[in-house]
Amino acid sequence: MSARTRNLISGLLWTSPWLVGFAVFLFLPLAMSLWYSFTDYPLLKPPVYIGMENYTGLLHDDKFWLVVKNTLVYSAFAIPLSTLVSLVVAAWLATPGLRARGFFLGAVFLPTLVPMMAAAMVWLWLFNAENGLINVLLKFVGVSGPIWLNDARWSIPALVLTGLWGVGQMVVVYVAAINEVPAALYEAATLDGMGPVRRFQHVTLPLITPAVLFNVITLTIGSLQIFVMPYVLFRNEQGQRDSGNMYNLLLYDNAFVYQKFGYASAMAWVQLLVVLALTGIMMFASKRLVHYRGAA
Amino acid sequence: MTTPGDISRRAAIGTLAAGAAWFAAFGPRSERDAIASKGKLVLDYWEKWTGIEGQAMQKIVDAFNASQDKIYVRYLITNSIHQKSLIAILGGAPPDVIGLYAFNVPSYSEARAILPLDDLAASHGLKMSDYASGLHQVMRHDGQWTAIINTCGTLALYWNRAIFRECADALKASGVDPDKGPQTIEQLDAAHVATTRVAGGAPLGKGPLERAGFLHLEPGWWSWIWGQPFGGHIMQDGLATCGSPDFVKGYQWVQSYPRELGSEHVEKFRAGFGPYGTPQCAFLTGKVAMCVQGPWMANLINQYTPTLDYGVVPIPMIQSLADPARPLGVIDTDVLVIPRGCKDPEASMQFIAFTQRPENVEALALAHCKGSPLVKVSESFYAQHKNRGVRLHTALASSPRAFVPPPVPEWTEWKDGFDSTIQDLWRLRGEPGPAMERLQARGQSLLDQAAARRAMRGERNG
Repeated sequence: MSARTRNLISGLLWTSPWLVGFAVFLFLPLAMSLWYSFTDYPLLKPPVYIGMENYTGLLHDDKFWLVVKNTLVYSAFAIPLSTLVSLVVAAWLATPGLRARGFFLGAVFLPTLVPMMAAAMVWLWLFNAENGLINVLLKFVGVSGPIWLNDARWSIPALVLTGLWGVGQMVVVYVAAINEVPAALYEAATLDGMGPVRRFQHVTLPLITPAVLFNVITLTIGSLQIFVMPYVLFRNEQGQRDSGNMYNLLLYDNAFVYQKFGYASAMAWVQLLVVLALTGIMMFASKRLVHYRGAA
Repeated sequence: MTTPGDISRRAAIGTLAAGAAWFAAFGPRSERDAIASKGKLVLDYWEKWTGIEGQAMQKIVDAFNASQDKIYVRYLITNSIHQKSLIAILGGAPPDVIGLYAFNVPSYSEARAILPLDDLAASHGLKMSDYASGLHQVMRHDGQWTAIINTCGTLALYWNRAIFRECADALKASGVDPDKGPQTIEQLDAAHVATTRVAGGAPLGKGPLERAGFLHLEPGWWSWIWGQPFGGHIMQDGLATCGSPDFVKGYQWVQSYPRELGSEHVEKFRAGFGPYGTPQCAFLTGKVAMCVQGPWMANLINQYTPTLDYGVVPIPMIQSLADPARPLGVIDTDVLVIPRGCKDPEASMQFIAFTQRPENVEALALAHCKGSPLVKVSESFYAQHKNRGVRLHTALASSPRAFVPPPVPEWTEWKDGFDSTIQDLWRLRGEPGPAMERLQARGQSLLDQAAARRAMRGERNG
């Protein structure tokens, strides 16, 4: 046995726990869900092949289009807003000479460590139209707060607001990226007469675009798969509210509540393809918009 | 390279392996193993109840375990029981007895996930005729006996006597007897107006609410029942009929309440309600004077507001349909089933039969504050009962107008449509007519698709 073969076998052996785990827990379920998406599979009965029926069914399912619309509208607001807020906070936290930077960074990051379910329960009370903290504060400044969770017009804005709860992770990435920007560039920009805003716009932002790309892609995937927050906020003993129903909630319902596993699998594959397409578009666009230091 | 005093990798792994082997051989044993090793058959009973309700069932389980020496039943509290049971049966590791909700029975039964009980029940002396007639709709599916009633829930209108006394003059003026509670929809409307209070004494709809007479969405768990008081039906002869004029009238009536009170006022008022199961529940705090609830409401009252003076009447129907001999009874029960693949169906049935002894049925119903599912009920049961409406709740299960949601597996998905539709109507988004027509079309499409799939699989369409 040659040294190269021995090396290969040894490498495969050492990576085998991951390879086996990947095959059993990821690849196999993925392949099975693709097969199920072409079947009628009510869980307790064996799957039966029905061709493209699940996919064509989606096209005529009003509820499917409702959750697609809700999820896209949510993402369209949540992604830019979260990106903007996290950039502003990161720029502030990266300000040279800022006192207690560690404390503020910790304070911004801490919410991301709170289990999503617990955070959602807190938001449930914050949004209470009568006694919730948000409306109490609004009342304090003379504004009559909306019925956040029971008024269809406010469902998505409420969800977008909760999305800001988790910007800490993005902020940490941005702060790290901003700290990597060479100080010499800031000095040169200052000598050229740029103020803080223009320095951020023309120096910082172009140099942290790889971090922005990473955050936007992960945020897009997360937004399209949002589950826990709308589940807690818009579902209770009185059932579900359409205005806060999201793609993954309907997918879950179809799989585990309505026992339409084939239909749910088709939904999952449509979602996967959409996410892949969006990621591809962003990667393609990044060739022009993202600047990697040291790249030619 | 190791230095003296370092532990080698081989020694570390060897020590861990030896420890694991020792633990496997001599480590602690679970209660299940300990009992099984004494030669008893261990049955797992999954049930959703916790708290007082769970303790009451545990007592019956304990009594069964003490009554014989062959079987030991473990009472395991399981939330989201209908979903977890499904996965367990699918995975080939089901429990031996499951306490499901009645509405789960059709889907479990059609998927052959639960065993037919006709022969098993008969061999233990259980007869369908021992149970209230309305409950047969839940116990039987597709011609087979599939579920046994664990506790019997029927819905009724709970009304606050103290508030009615306070508003006695206004109630009398509008034809409602303040000592009897509303008997018809018309009387319910009148009682609602008489007992509702708007801030500053303003007319209805002209200010924030301080108290509401009746709100369909408090608690709002049964979004699908409101067509029935007007003579409508969700489904008849296998066809979705919730878009019929009579059924629609029910939802026009539902929508008339937020229209009259002001949708925004109602929503802000409701936001101040505590959830069911807490002392802040709207009926307990007197924020609503009447609500549709099951008999378990009495447990909540006894626990948190024992001084609350309440009455219980059947859910009213419109004057032209009201008939005291045939009250409207919405059945919402818990059932026991035996899952496919359980260890020993005969042993499971032995346990279920024990729970169905009249003394056990009544003991459980007493603790749950519910009515008895049996035709024969002892007077001592009524005498000891802590729910003032127990006779009514028990009688509703035998009413010719007792009804259950459509016994089809597609109901779960259809019902979600009812939930979102009623919430839209409540917030004045859309008109009841078109909304219910859409819901009927949706329901029919679900029924048709399911029938087509069953035909494709070569299964019989019920």
